[in-house]
Amino acid sequence: MSQSNVNAPAWYTASRVLIPGLLLVALVILAALVSFVWTPFDVTKLNIPAKLQTPNTTHWFGTDHFGRDIFSMIMVGARTSLAVAVLAVGIGLCVGIPLGLTAASMQGSLLDEIIMRGNDLVFAFPALLIAIMITAVFGPGAVNAIIAIGIFNIPVFARLTRGSALSLWQRDFVLAARVSGKGATRISIEHILPNITNLLIVQGTIQFSLGILAEAGLSYVGLGAQPPTPSWGRMLAESQTLITLAPHLALFPGFAIILTVLGLNLTGDGLRDLSDPRIRRR
Amino acid sequence: MITTNSNHHTDAQLRVNGLNLSIHETPILNSVSFDVRAGEVLGIVGESGSGKSMTAYSILQLLPDGSSLSGSVELEGQQLIGASESELCDVRGDVVGMIFQEPMTALNPVQTIGQQVAETVYIHGGVSRRAALKVARETLNRVGLPEAEFALDRYPHELSGGQRQRVVIAMAIALKPRLLIADEPTTALDVTTQAQILAVLKRLVLEDRMALILITHDLAVVANVADHLVIMRHGNIVEQGGVQEVLATKAHPYTRQLFEASGHKPDREGTSLTDKPLLKVDGLIRDYRLPRTRLFGPSRYFRAVDDVSFQLHRGESLGLVGESGCGKSTLTRAILGLDTIQGGVITIDGETVNAHHTMALSLRRKMQVVFQDPYGSFNPRHKVNRLVAEPFHLVKDAPTGNALRAVIAEVLESVGLAASDADKYIHEFSGGQRQRIAIARALVIKPALIILDEAVSALDVSIRAQILDLLASLVDTHDLSYLFISHDLSVVRSITDRVLVMKAGKLVEQGPTEQVFLHPEHPYTQSLIAAVPQLPD
Repeated sequence: MSQSNVNAPAWYTASRVLIPGLLLVALVILAALVSFVWTPFDVTKLNIPAKLQTPNTTHWFGTDHFGRDIFSMIMVGARTSLAVAVLAVGIGLCVGIPLGLTAASMQGSLLDEIIMRGNDLVFAFPALLIAIMITAVFGPGAVNAIIAIGIFNIPVFARLTRGSALSLWQRDFVLAARVSGKGATRISIEHILPNITNLLIVQGTIQFSLGILAEAGLSYVGLGAQPPTPSWGRMLAESQTLITLAPHLALFPGFAIILTVLGLNLTGDGLRDLSDPRIRRR
Repeated sequence: MITTNSNHHTDAQLRVNGLNLSIHETPILNSVSFDVRAGEVLGIVGESGSGKSMTAYSILQLLPDGSSLSGSVELEGQQLIGASESELCDVRGDVVGMIFQEPMTALNPVQTIGQQVAETVYIHGGVSRRAALKVARETLNRVGLPEAEFALDRYPHELSGGQRQRVVIAMAIALKPRLLIADEPTTALDVTTQAQILAVLKRLVLEDRMALILITHDLAVVANVADHLVIMRHGNIVEQGGVQEVLATKAHPYTRQLFEASGHKPDREGTSLTDKPLLKVDGLIRDYRLPRTRLFGPSRYFRAVDDVSFQLHRGESLGLVGESGCGKSTLTRAILGLDTIQGGVITIDGETVNAHHTMALSLRRKMQVVFQDPYGSFNPRHKVNRLVAEPFHLVKDAPTGNALRAVIAEVLESVGLAASDADKYIHEFSGGQRQRIAIARALVIKPALIILDEAVSALDVSIRAQILDLLASLVDTHDLSYLFISHDLSVVRSITDRVLVMKAGKLVEQGPTEQVFLHPEHPYTQSLIAAVPQLPD
């Protein structure tokens, strides 16, 4: 009954969003990687005479108030954004998923309560507040931004994992696995986790894009990567005073953030569709 | 009774002629034609995929995207095919009422039953809220929910499944529709409730002189209620006519096949019954903790299984019948060692079962289980070979590599599937095939006891007959005992040697199957057996 249209199989629909998404993400990753070996100009070198140029053939995206090349700074900034977001999501996944799986397998137990109330506690702090706290103790920097965003990601993944795992624990195939004598850990890894990966992938890409936004936000208020390391958020902050004089200073880092977030969201949607064998095999 | 009706009303209330339906170029219905008269019940019978539900949806044109419908549907002379959406909205709910299978999801949980019944009256009837509520009250009285117990401000969760289905019926008939369509209205209900709901429907049809289309997979259900019968297969009507004629002559081979499959008795002569007890349950008690009503109040408990004792012998097939909520599934989980019990002893071959991880794997090996839902009992992300091999977790020196493949091939072939099916995903199989895979999974480690928890309840009658045959033949080849749990008494009667009857957590009767069915002693057993719809012989 639920046959998909012959002309547009599901994998095709999935790839229609996946391919542009992957292209955008690949572009950002490529820019970040290339920046390690080559950038059009050195981003640490000031060139005051060439300041505040509008886009031209030498400086594709123009220059800032110190005469630095915006295009080069965006390339190097991608490095910071990606590194912070990847590591922060990694912290969220590595800590949140085991916590959620454990809580679900012992639903109603004391440990479940402790884990989930602990999550509530972390959730109650805004990421920015955690970042300020960490900064107050350890000083500002990219590593502390990673830790702050990462901690904020833990309860997101723990809750998602626990919620979807709880309904899976009620399913007959989990019961069948228990009849086969499998323990909670094994069932969690073999049966629960594969069935929630698509949710985790989608949430992961959302958190990844939120991580990029959070990194930009933290840098904007000066709690992220410190100068001279370029960062999209700080580029936006620095452009603020010159917004009427040189709007391109805000435009290009803004576009970089938007396109990266868009690319990640499209990728997440496409991956979710592809990760389901019911869709893939049709 | 039937003939007098048709004498008075020769005009058909609903006339369906040459209905063709295809969805995305796939033909679903093929020139379906039938009439229903006022005050008459038309039964549409068919197995899954026969197009019986799609026929009903075509009448109301509640069809999925990409459907193309042609033919003629005349309701009291009004042509519905080609009617505009606003005209159809007037017809739906007003002239035509509809009842769906699942009473649990058909009601809005946050609205009172009074509001929900009054809603249809208010929308279509053009009356005030107060008048609508008055109609709702009267309608609820008519479907057997009197005011004293079922005030308008009750919520759906306070009612049982049968009572909810009565509310759904009240919603459908509140405006006295000319045509009522009931799609499997009793399939999700217990037998005694089913009998009551069918009686209510029959009474309402006669009182209001409605036409009723009763869609079901169960010939026995319509045999007692319907006046006319339409038998469908693969989108075609294979046979139609008065219910007595169709069931007496069984002119079409498919009708005969359906009829035989409904009362199918597998050949079980070869079974070797022994006196050696395999499973012993003694004084079993299982309590559930209820949610606390106050923060520091004492915990309250619900006793789901109350002092149950029985034995199952090697080679025996033991039935356990009871209605939903009687504790059947709780008992199953306790026997399988999945839940901690609060009292009593369960032993298998003299070894005690407990839900602790100390329970020996060698003991767990002795039992396997097959569940009801062929769609939910498999991890959709694994291939069949991995699914079937799962119980090997219980075996220390489990076969690997080619040896494992050979074992899986063998077990798949023993349940009537091909060895090559091992490399497919579970969604590539039909319900019946999935149930065979579930049996293969249970068989693969050669257990002594298989618990079949409503294992054939979700299957079509012809598939059910095949699975019952398979189960009967496996007893001999694999030296098995079954604990067969079901709400379906006719199935239990056909496959078990002894039967236990359970009510509200207690065993009320047990004995040899035929003796219990022919001479039930407990009043509850008697009411259960009396409620089973019977096919004429």
